[in-house]
This record gives sequence, structure tokens and C-alpha cells, in this order.
Amino acid sequence: MEKQEYTVVSDSETSEDKHLSPFPDSAIGIDIGTSQCSIAFWNGSHVELLKNTRNQKLIRSYVIFKDEIPSGGISEDIAHNEQEIFSGSAIFNMKRLIGRTDTDPVVHRSKALPFLVQTLDIGARPFIAALVNNVWRSTTPEEVLAVFLVELKAMAEDRLKRPIRNAVLTIPVSFSRFQQTRIERACAMAGLHVFRLMPEPTAVALLYAQQQQQSIHDNMGSGSEKVALIFNMGAGYCDVAITATAGGVSQIKALLGSTVGGEDMLQNVMRHLVPNFDLCANRGMPEIKAMGFLRIAAQDAIHKLSSQTSVPINIDLGNGTKVSRTLERLEFENMNSEIFDKCKALVMQCMHDAKVTPKDVNDVIFVGGCSNIPKIRDSVLELCKRNNHYEGMNPLEAAVCGAALEGAVASGISDPSGSLDLLTIQATPLSLGIRVNGNLFVPIIHRNTAIPARKDVLFTTSQDDQTEALIIVYEGEGEKVEENHLLGYFKISGIPPGPKGTAEISVCMDIDASNVLRVLAGALYPGKQQAVSPFIEVRMPMVDDGHGWCAEALVKMYGSTIDLATIPKKA
Amino acid sequence: MSVGFISSGVGGVDATRTPLFGRPTKQSPQHVDRLSFRTRAAVDEGFVAEKEKSFYDLLGISEKGTLSDIKQAYREMARRFHPDVSPPERADEYTKRFILVQEAYETLSDPGRRSDYDRRLAKGLHFAFSPRRFDQGLDRSEWKSCWQNQVEGLRRRSMDKAAGENMSWAARMRRKREGFSEE
Repeated sequence: MEKQEYTVVSDSETSEDKHLSPFPDSAIGIDIGTSQCSIAFWNGSHVELLKNTRNQKLIRSYVIFKDEIPSGGISEDIAHNEQEIFSGSAIFNMKRLIGRTDTDPVVHRSKALPFLVQTLDIGARPFIAALVNNVWRSTTPEEVLAVFLVELKAMAEDRLKRPIRNAVLTIPVSFSRFQQTRIERACAMAGLHVFRLMPEPTAVALLYAQQQQQSIHDNMGSGSEKVALIFNMGAGYCDVAITATAGGVSQIKALLGSTVGGEDMLQNVMRHLVPNFDLCANRGMPEIKAMGFLRIAAQDAIHKLSSQTSVPINIDLGNGTKVSRTLERLEFENMNSEIFDKCKALVMQCMHDAKVTPKDVNDVIFVGGCSNIPKIRDSVLELCKRNNHYEGMNPLEAAVCGAALEGAVASGISDPSGSLDLLTIQATPLSLGIRVNGNLFVPIIHRNTAIPARKDVLFTTSQDDQTEALIIVYEGEGEKVEENHLLGYFKISGIPPGPKGTAEISVCMDIDASNVLRVLAGALYPGKQQAVSPFIEVRMPMVDDGHGWCAEALVKMYGSTIDLATIPKKA
Repeated sequence: MSVGFISSGVGGVDATRTPLFGRPTKQSPQHVDRLSFRTRAAVDEGFVAEKEKSFYDLLGISEKGTLSDIKQAYREMARRFHPDVSPPERADEYTKRFILVQEAYETLSDPGRRSDYDRRLAKGLHFAFSPRRFDQGLDRSEWKSCWQNQVEGLRRRSMDKAAGENMSWAARMRRKREGFSEE
């Protein structure tokens, strides 16, 4: 520390040389997808995607467990085939499982995956295991992700000939802050420092901002503000964002995410093809194998239905069940109509939140594998009253390119041509608030608030002569606290006694530029804006696994004796 | 107040121009991160003046500025004060500035809120935004107006419910499906 301090004087001189040519400090961008992963870096003039030994830019995300040695197969010459990946010995879809409890519907839907996902429905983490030598060997989503990231990091270090430490990772919009800590933990296990976690569509927005800036340089653009709607749908999540861009500044107007994705459509197709096949049943080797065949056939059919109106299916599941039929695109659309409706609802809500109408939207950007599905494209374009979408970016590479740009910008690299002269003003995707008036959730920082942000609200006591109050912090949009994610809790004491509703308790929330949330609370002398005793400051989230239990324990222990209340309205 | 902005805006340019801010050494961003709110309050000194400026002053535009003037001024200010592009040793101070600028932009870019604000400004009651009100000793009337704003905010929130804002997503969707939609 000491040493660092007196090297600072010459810092501005030396950092210049340091940042030239190989960009040693530049953070790389990583897009961990539910099904595919990619990694990109700023090479001095533009963003470049790294390729694995099989010359692929998009790397299948899975970890296969064989003889005690887990492997992501990134640097192997021959890829594992689909049948191997679906044999129960590989864990995939970790992005859907990470940081979720066994009561989460997404975890329940994941029970149809070939590996073991066991739930006891008690609000603890689910049990996840891979089949190794005919034994289910337990693991965790964090561990699987870490194994995968270690290989990804090794591959990048080999290609770039430098150690990699800092990374910007993209995450789904709907990820809770608790899930974000799990991603950070997995990265730490893999020796990566998370420079920033970026919601996927905001990474795309940054790339769009750069492209708009570029077209002004090339005298093609007008330089005025452009509004883009970004629709991102992959195997696990669906996100929508609206960005307003001008002069290289990308301002996120609204963000909305959901856990619907290609995996749900895939399971619908599987159920549709073999209606009496229980995907989640307790299973032995023959069932897993049959399910693997079915999964491959369903996957293939979905891909083909994007370009053709019907697809023949001929599979032998090996357990006596044979499927021989034609699947029509219309059938596919009907069985997934709920998912498509959900996508439309997200787009409408996001436009509403951003206070934009279809005529304000200059571009519609599609990213993610599932945004290639004709029905989805058509309905999003229809909602935006447009005939075509923005063609300027690769839908499978846009997010990782944006992450790499952010990595370069946030590492302080500047580019003489001005192509890194960019800024993203992020917004909070979920509201942050506390439990008040029993089990009601009162937001303090509303969703789509620009970051950094700082907001405070006054509350009061719910009981006469109440001297203590619990501050229980949640994240989400539900009106009741149970519908939201618990982030943490603490107690403030020393409230001056008095009739209920007279005390003043200030609760302040602060999100800094690195998206760190702090909650600061304490009692004030009523009407005097003066603190009774030192405030308490807590960095959130502070809960660990099994956080569902914490909230229950608090309610059981304290009931409503130290509840907070909203300030009653006075004439 | 006229605020010049740096056209190239990003990164170290500002750092080389401006003297180090009160502290002899550069601190790593992580270190700045961990500063407590109390320490931040100390850093606040000399910053109070900013709070007494009107939203128009903060954005450096005239009170007759158009929406596009407001947007442009906001982007210029963001390029200057957003902590991502500010010199690390001033990140804390700039973060506060950015939050003020953001508040100014949000108020002035919304026609309804802007006319409310203009009315208050005409009456000289424009210090609605004060993130550290309890230890900066605002006078009684100001405090009351802050408090009233909050109550008003809460009331607005409960009214908004009827308009479909701030409801849970599911509740909104249910409502929409029931045919409640003016758009």
C-alpha cells in the first residue's frame, strides 16, 4: 500500500506507455450464455473474439465429469458429442441454476435436464449431481461455472500471451443481487476479478452507441439522439432494454427481464412429441439415454423451423418408443404461445417504463439465439410498428463485444480515433426497498433509476414506545415482501419512545458506480433532522444460501413488535 | 453559472488538468469504495455550494432551454461527471455531482415535473434535492418542504397504482388483460 502511494506522482506519465500496444490491463469481455459462451477483447483498434482449439468463437457451455476430473472441453481437439453431453455426466444451464433455491420454479423446470436436480422445497439450495461411473456425484452451479471459467481463462491467456485477471461479464437482466454474488464467487474461484457485471442488453446498447458514433465519423449519421429497443432471448432468459444514444453516451431508459427462454420451448417440444414421457421422473440409464435422443431431435427441429415451415421427425428413443411424424411451424407456435405472449408483454412493459411509443423507436435490435424465431421477430416488430430490424450486429456476438468495449473503456484505455469515447449510464433493473407495514414492500430506489443513485425516505414506528426497528431489505417488484429477493437485515435501536407514528427513521440507499449497494439507516429526533445515535451502514446483499429461512426466522422471532411503518399522511 | 465541458471528456484528461483533490495521494477505486458515509460527508465540504444552484445552473442552461438543450447538456455533464470517466481520486465527489445532474435532468426533461419545478423556483423554494439533509442543518422551512415532498412522493406512488405504475409486473399484466389500457 505504502509503495503504491508514492508511485502515484509519475502515474500519468507511465500509464500512457503501459496502455499502449498490448493493453496489459484491459479487462476482457465474457458472455456466459445458458448454452453458449464467448470471450472477446479490445485489440487496440477493435473488438476481437477469441477462438477455441476447434476454431469456434461460440463455445458450448458445459462441464463433463469423468473419472473425478471435470472438464469443459474448451481446449480439447475433439468436441464431446451431444449424446455424451446429454448422458447425465455433463452439467450445463448453470446460468439458469446459479443462486436459486429449491423452491424456485426455474429450478423445478430444470429437473427435466439429463443430470440430477433434486429439490426438497425448503428454500435451501438444490442438490445438483452428475453421473460418474454410475454414481451421482454432487456439485454446485458455482463450482461448474468456475471449472468452465478456468478453462476459458487458460485459453485466453494462451491466445493473448498475457495473464488475464480482470473481466467484464454479461448477466441476464432478471439476475438478483444475490445471484450476482454467486457469479462473482465462481469468478473468484477461477482466479478472475469481476470488473463489472453488465446486463446483456446494456452491453449491446454500448456496441450500438459505438456504431452510431462511428457512422457520424463516416458522415452517415445525423448525430441526433437515437432510441433503440433491444430484444435479447437466449436459451435461459429473455431481456428487453430501451436505450437512448447520442454522442457516444448510451443512456439506459428501461430494462426488463424474465426467465423464459429456449429451454422452455425445447421442453414444450419434447412433451409435445412424446406426451406420456415424464421428463422429471426418477430415472435410470435407459431413460436418460432416451431423453437425450429426444432432446437432440427437439433442438434440431426448433432450429430448422426458423427457416422452414415444417420438419420431419424420425427418432427411436431406444426404449421401445419411436416417433415418426412431421412437426409444423404452426404447431410449434401454438404450443409455445404462452412464451410468445410473455415476450410481447415484456416489450410493451419496457416501452411503457421508458415512456416511449413505437414512433420514438429508431431501431429494433435482435440478439440471442431465440430472437431468430420468426414468430418472435414478427411480434416484436409488430409492437414497434416496423417492417425490419437493425442489421448492424451479429446477434450471437453483440453482447460479448459490448462487454469487451466496456472492459476497455472502464480500464481507462483511450483510442486516438475516438472509438472508445463511450459512456453507458446504467439503470437498476429491479426496485430496492424495505419491509414496512407488516409484509409490504416499499421501494426506496425504483427500478430503472440511473446508477449511481442515492435516495432516502423517512419511516416511522408501528407500535407505541417502540425503541427498536428491523430494516429488512428486499429487491424485486412484488407488492408483498415474500414475492421479492431478501438481501439482508439489521436492527436499529435507540429510537426515542413516543406514540406510534411519531418517531422518524431515515433509510437511505446508495448505489455507487460499481453497482455496490449500501443501506444506511438510523433514528432521528422528530422534526430535528438530527441523528439520535450513529447510523448503521450495511453493504448488501449480506445473506447467504438459505436466505428464505432468515426472513421466516425474523418474522417468527419478532412478529410485528419492531416493524416499520410509512409516515401517515397529514393534512 | 457557465460550465465549460471538455469535449474529449474521457479518462485522464481531466486528471492532468485539475489539481489533486485535497488528498496527497491517489487511492485505488476499491479504497474509495470502502470510505464510510461519514468520511464522505467530510469530503462534501466545499461541495455545498452546488446544492444551492438551480437545476438549470447545474446543467448550465438557461431557464428557456428546450428539451433537446436539456438532453445535450445532460450528456455533456454525464461525460464529465459520471464516475466511469472521472479521475479515480475524484470519483466520490463526481459521483455526487452526477447524482445532482441526474436529478436535474429527470426533473427538467419531464414537462409536468418541469413546470412544477419552475413554479417552485419562482417562489424561491427550489432546494428540493438534498441527499444529506439530516447533517447539513437545513432550516426548518426547508426541512418541512423536503418532508412534504416525500409525503407527496408517497401519495403520488399510491395514486400511480391506479395508473398502472409501480405495481408488480404480474398485477399490471392482469390488469392489462382485464382490458385496462389506454395506450
